[in-house]
Amino acid sequence: MSGSWVMAAVLSQLGCQSEPEGFPSRPIDVITHASPGGGTDATARAMLAGARDAFEVGMAVVPKVGGGGLVAMSYVDGRARDGHTIMGITPTHLFAIARGQGPLTIEDLVGVARATDDPIVVMVRADSDFDTLEDLVALGKQRPIKWGTTQIGSVDHVAGAMLAKAAETSLSVVPFGGGGEIVTNLMGGNIDAAGLNLTEGLDSIVRGSFRALAVMASRRMDAIPEVPTTLELGYDVEFATVRGYVVLSGTPEDRLRVLEAGLMKGLSSPSFQSYLEGAGLDRQSVAAASEWDAQIDRMYERAHAAMLELGMVEP
Amino acid sequence: MPDIAIAFALLSDPWIVSWIVFGTLGGVVVGALPGLSSSMAVALLLPFSLYLEPIPAMALLSALYCAGTFGGSITAILINAPGAPPAAATAFDGYPMAVTGQAGRALGIAAVASSCGGIFSVVVLVVAAPLLASVAYGFGPPEYFALALFGLSMLSAIGGSSPLKNLIGGWLGLLIATIGIDLTTGVERFTFGVAELYDGVDFVPVLIGLFAITEALNQAGKLAAPLETIRLSATRLPTLDDFKRVRATILRSSVIGTFIGILPAEGSTMAAMVGYNEAKRWSKEPERFGHGAIEGVAGPEAANNAATGGAMVPTLALGIPGSATAAVIMGGLQVHGLRPGPFLFEEQPTLLYAIFLSMLVANVLFLFVGLAGAKVFARISLVPKALLWPTVFVLSVIGAYGVNGSMVDVWIMLLAGLVGFVLKRNGFGPAPIIMGIVLGGLVERSLAQSMILFDQRWTGFLGRPVALGFFALALVSLAAPLLRRTRG
Repeated sequence: MSGSWVMAAVLSQLGCQSEPEGFPSRPIDVITHASPGGGTDATARAMLAGARDAFEVGMAVVPKVGGGGLVAMSYVDGRARDGHTIMGITPTHLFAIARGQGPLTIEDLVGVARATDDPIVVMVRADSDFDTLEDLVALGKQRPIKWGTTQIGSVDHVAGAMLAKAAETSLSVVPFGGGGEIVTNLMGGNIDAAGLNLTEGLDSIVRGSFRALAVMASRRMDAIPEVPTTLELGYDVEFATVRGYVVLSGTPEDRLRVLEAGLMKGLSSPSFQSYLEGAGLDRQSVAAASEWDAQIDRMYERAHAAMLELGMVEP
Repeated sequence: MPDIAIAFALLSDPWIVSWIVFGTLGGVVVGALPGLSSSMAVALLLPFSLYLEPIPAMALLSALYCAGTFGGSITAILINAPGAPPAAATAFDGYPMAVTGQAGRALGIAAVASSCGGIFSVVVLVVAAPLLASVAYGFGPPEYFALALFGLSMLSAIGGSSPLKNLIGGWLGLLIATIGIDLTTGVERFTFGVAELYDGVDFVPVLIGLFAITEALNQAGKLAAPLETIRLSATRLPTLDDFKRVRATILRSSVIGTFIGILPAEGSTMAAMVGYNEAKRWSKEPERFGHGAIEGVAGPEAANNAATGGAMVPTLALGIPGSATAAVIMGGLQVHGLRPGPFLFEEQPTLLYAIFLSMLVANVLFLFVGLAGAKVFARISLVPKALLWPTVFVLSVIGAYGVNGSMVDVWIMLLAGLVGFVLKRNGFGPAPIIMGIVLGGLVERSLAQSMILFDQRWTGFLGRPVALGFFALALVSLAAPLLRRTRG
């Protein structure tokens, strides 16, 4: 089984250059930037389980790991814009583009479908003194808030930094590399707060170990309806771990529609829906091309503005 | 225990048993192939497992996980090409055994040690998962720093060569570990604009290069030597005396492996390294290590399989994956609409017991596969060099490419092989280099994180008893050879 995977990888590298009659005429590659095991990989595979049936050709996840999406973007840039290559993107890709890294610009990305829209939720320990976001902000005026993040320049880092800026409070960023380690360290009392996806902290919230202070989105989440949004609290800060699929501009419009239909079929399949449910999300997470494409541009604007404000990009 | 009874009844269903058997056999094969790891195999089978009910699906994935960790030892012993990083330490003594015509003995010991370690950890998992899971919370960056430092303190003792050469090798490993983006500052180091190096040098290509390619080059230089007589002893299995000799090592490594496995993000590779080191430290004849000591095979093999059960503890009890493969299995639970964490124990006890039992069955099953296969596999060590090593070379290239589908990894592997060859000719072993790479990233990252947490004041370490305990162990470990010398 894994032998066939290597074969598939080798074959896709060689490329099958014969001209297609119909579309799709050869297997569709879904390029991800994450190694097997991460949320991006799991999302892609859950989507594929349902979408595969929509096309007569095969579909495969092709991981191009490295450089916070740069390797994947360079790889996709080098392939024909004929619809046989789909790229999975996250805010990380948009941050990289906003910083001028890699071969692509924001105009190159054309949204096909969105798979998950997972807002960043500000979480603290339930036995801490922070009952509201204001309490946390007040602490930050005395000493920097120890804020756990995955990486420098990741969406949860930028979210925390932008919130601190809006609240005129100070932040000391502690990168841990992954969400699991952030949860462990928040629980162990090593950090004050973190911006986590709901999945990562929902169990701890329900069990009374964590408290959610704010959802960094424009609407409240069904699973934690009592938690206010940052917008309600007066901070215009909106960040989410969004995972969706794009093709590069220049891909024929009719092929884009075929891909959209196939992907949407996969994303609305029972298996993907139960995956979403397991991740604490609902079907609102999934969006078709028009909504998703507009969101990409909106997210990019925000990412660029945030990067400018945080001094992470030259004006 | 009605739940465990239900799970037991479920597992006697031939349909589910056949999935466990399939997972075990597949795991051994995938684990044995360099570059194909159990985490990759589990990830590939994940979409397929969607078509199954949750219990057979989880039985399949967890069996694959257990058997895959064992499978790595087969190629580590036979051709010095660890099938996966956790088997790296197994090659230190396993391959010298194969070279001296004891391949069957080494494979047999590996199978038994792996199985014992795996079973031990599953029993721990069943008895104390929710309880032990909280250990994970007690481990913050300062504790990881102290643990990693303790690991590094064994550098001078780990390889077969002189302590000075070991330290130089370890230093080289640490240097390789600095490549890539620095976690706490976000600054790129030694990447030279190569995007593939942004996240650091992948461990697997370096491993394949240092072991398999180095050995292939080494063997190429010996082709002109007259053919040795065929060693019939190669297929001989270990004796009862052998097992008696490694009993204590297996037990010790099982405990170490389970503990390290429980720590999130610390996987089987580190467990195997520590298991190997401790086997050597407690041995009455540490000088035999690196030249084919059976304890040197039993130590890491028991530890890396014990880490599988250990890794499932935080995965199932807290929803925090204990290893890369456990993360994929967790993804598998989510795809089936189940959220790992404390609730799973209350809501899905049957499923949990089914996972435990499948791991148990897989651990017993691969023992038989390993023992029965040992006689067959051992014949590989009798294949003429001119056929065997070119095949290993081809497998290595495919393996290095397969990890991330990147040619950069293939070049890294070939470079590591050349460097390893030159070093070997000058008396440097691969073990300290591997150790430096495994621990280098952790030691630097956890120190940087600790200093942020302590507001850049190192005195913060004084308030962390667990960390102080590991510091003390590191000191003892450093002083031990000196003490032994003065006493002798």
